[in-house]
Amino acid sequence: MQPQITVILDNGASSIKAGLARGPEGDDDDQPKLISNAIVRSKGDKTTYFGHQLERCRDYSALHYRLPFEKGYLVDWDAQKAVWDGVFSSEVLNVDTAESSLLITEPYFNLPNIQDVYDQFVFEEYEFYSYHRCTPAATIPFGHLFQAGGPSPPECLVVIDSGFSFTHVVPIINNQIQWYAVKRLDVGGKLLTNQLKELVSYRQWNMMDETYIMNHAKETCCYVSTGFFEDLETCRSNPKKNSIVREYVLPNFSINRPGRIRLPNEELSTTDQVLHMENERFTIPELLFRPDDIGLEQSGLAATVAASIALLPHDLRGMFWANIGLIGGSTNFPGFYERLSSELLSLTPVEYDLQIYRSEDAITEAYRSAIAFVNDPAFSAHVVTREEYLEVGSNASRRKFPGWQSSSAPGDADISKITQESMIEDRGQPSRKPNRSRMRTTTAPGRRR
Amino acid sequence: QAPRHVNATKQTLPSDIIIKRTKRHLEELEVTAHIHRSNYTEPSITFDGNDEGAISGKNRVRQIVSDKRHLNDPNAKKKKSSMKVRTALLYRKNLATLIEESRIASLPCHVPTYLTAAAPPPQLPPRLLCSVCGYKGAYKCKKCAMPYCDINCQGVHSETRCERRVI
Repeated sequence: MQPQITVILDNGASSIKAGLARGPEGDDDDQPKLISNAIVRSKGDKTTYFGHQLERCRDYSALHYRLPFEKGYLVDWDAQKAVWDGVFSSEVLNVDTAESSLLITEPYFNLPNIQDVYDQFVFEEYEFYSYHRCTPAATIPFGHLFQAGGPSPPECLVVIDSGFSFTHVVPIINNQIQWYAVKRLDVGGKLLTNQLKELVSYRQWNMMDETYIMNHAKETCCYVSTGFFEDLETCRSNPKKNSIVREYVLPNFSINRPGRIRLPNEELSTTDQVLHMENERFTIPELLFRPDDIGLEQSGLAATVAASIALLPHDLRGMFWANIGLIGGSTNFPGFYERLSSELLSLTPVEYDLQIYRSEDAITEAYRSAIAFVNDPAFSAHVVTREEYLEVGSNASRRKFPGWQSSSAPGDADISKITQESMIEDRGQPSRKPNRSRMRTTTAPGRRR
Repeated sequence: QAPRHVNATKQTLPSDIIIKRTKRHLEELEVTAHIHRSNYTEPSITFDGNDEGAISGKNRVRQIVSDKRHLNDPNAKKKKSSMKVRTALLYRKNLATLIEESRIASLPCHVPTYLTAAAPPPQLPPRLLCSVCGYKGAYKCKKCAMPYCDINCQGVHSETRCERRVI
């Protein structure tokens, strides 16, 4: 009997976005529950919190995190099982896993030995009836990220997924990820928070153990600058009082007051400690665009996008440049969209349009697209059932979840079909170019090709 | 005429040490739980403090933290996990070991893998930022090659950080 309930688990390294799809007869959870994917020990509270229990924490200072993920991949199954037990229990989703189906997300280029362990936990430990495992970008074509550009999602699109561990550029054709063109930038929220901790610890207060507080400071104060050297000069000209400096008042957990930015003319009591955030505000997120600032030998995000699209079939590149989508928490920095647009504009070939799509909530976008995917009638063809697994083991999922192992090379039958279609489209009415003023200005510096 | 003798300030730190230092710094940025500098060891192995069971040299008595939870759940089934699951729970491998075991490095070169998917190297030369204040770093320290912007920052650097970061 096909279960009615599907558990959707966007299993990220920083947070799990979890909810239920209840089939045609019931309501789906439109917004997921956000659960920290960690086992956290609080010295102040003298307690250990598993996943969702972290919201009960009172003292966020010197929190010790044990994460199931290492460098973006699930390696600590003990910790992950502890968090998942809580997620499925009556405290969060309250679901009987043996009577449900599951959609779970995995990292890009997940290792085959790790994928086998996903199967083992899903079928042997939690005994799900059936499941589907895919990357977050694979769900995006089913969602609404690109709906501003037209009623149906584009056939060729690029997803930029910038999360906790790393940032990926993922081109997709007809719902198939083009693995040979997927590129990874090893800069994510974790690296940015750690770099901020280092800078602040050297220049002001020792915050090396204060992951939670510095993460909050990063999310509140940091922004991406569009003129890096101009902003640097502004900070230099008047170190104490300029338009960029912000003071972050550190939280005081004994009186239950969270950290915040100091408002102008706000009085501070003598016990308040303050962090001066001036060039840290924009040099930290700058690492997404110039990783070589700290010696990481990789191009920035814009150059990586250009390199990825350059690997794709020549005739389709225009469609990719016109359909770039942003997901993931690290895209939430103010100014990220503007900076990426300005850098990509100078890299886009002159004959193509550039269009970047972002969502109202970058963190939950993959979850909401996954809900649409589960409700799509084609979904049931993509799941592996427990019965199949008990018969043939992990071969069932290797067959049904096509990944990078079985990737197609450029020059496939499918791709040449689209090339024909897009050529016909170009001759007829204009293709799916959005109906808004073109992004580029008239003074485009230099011509590509 | 004798050739002009340029008194260039010579960098006394060999470049391979600089590369090693950068690499170690990048690994530190990947860590999720920081240990005190004096106990610095391999950062990529996760560690959970001393309350997770006896750790005696090589024979670590591994305890499963997920079993210790007391979930007051009437639906909880007290069944034994399967062999594979128990193995996965007990023996935690780090990512480097898993990458080796997966043997993706020996796949034919047209197959894209985690190893081949890294972003291309940068096209532009790196910008030097002062290691003390963050402004444009015009000069580099003679002893340890860290950039600084002016005399004040140079003073701060040589008092606090110079040579301590050298391996």
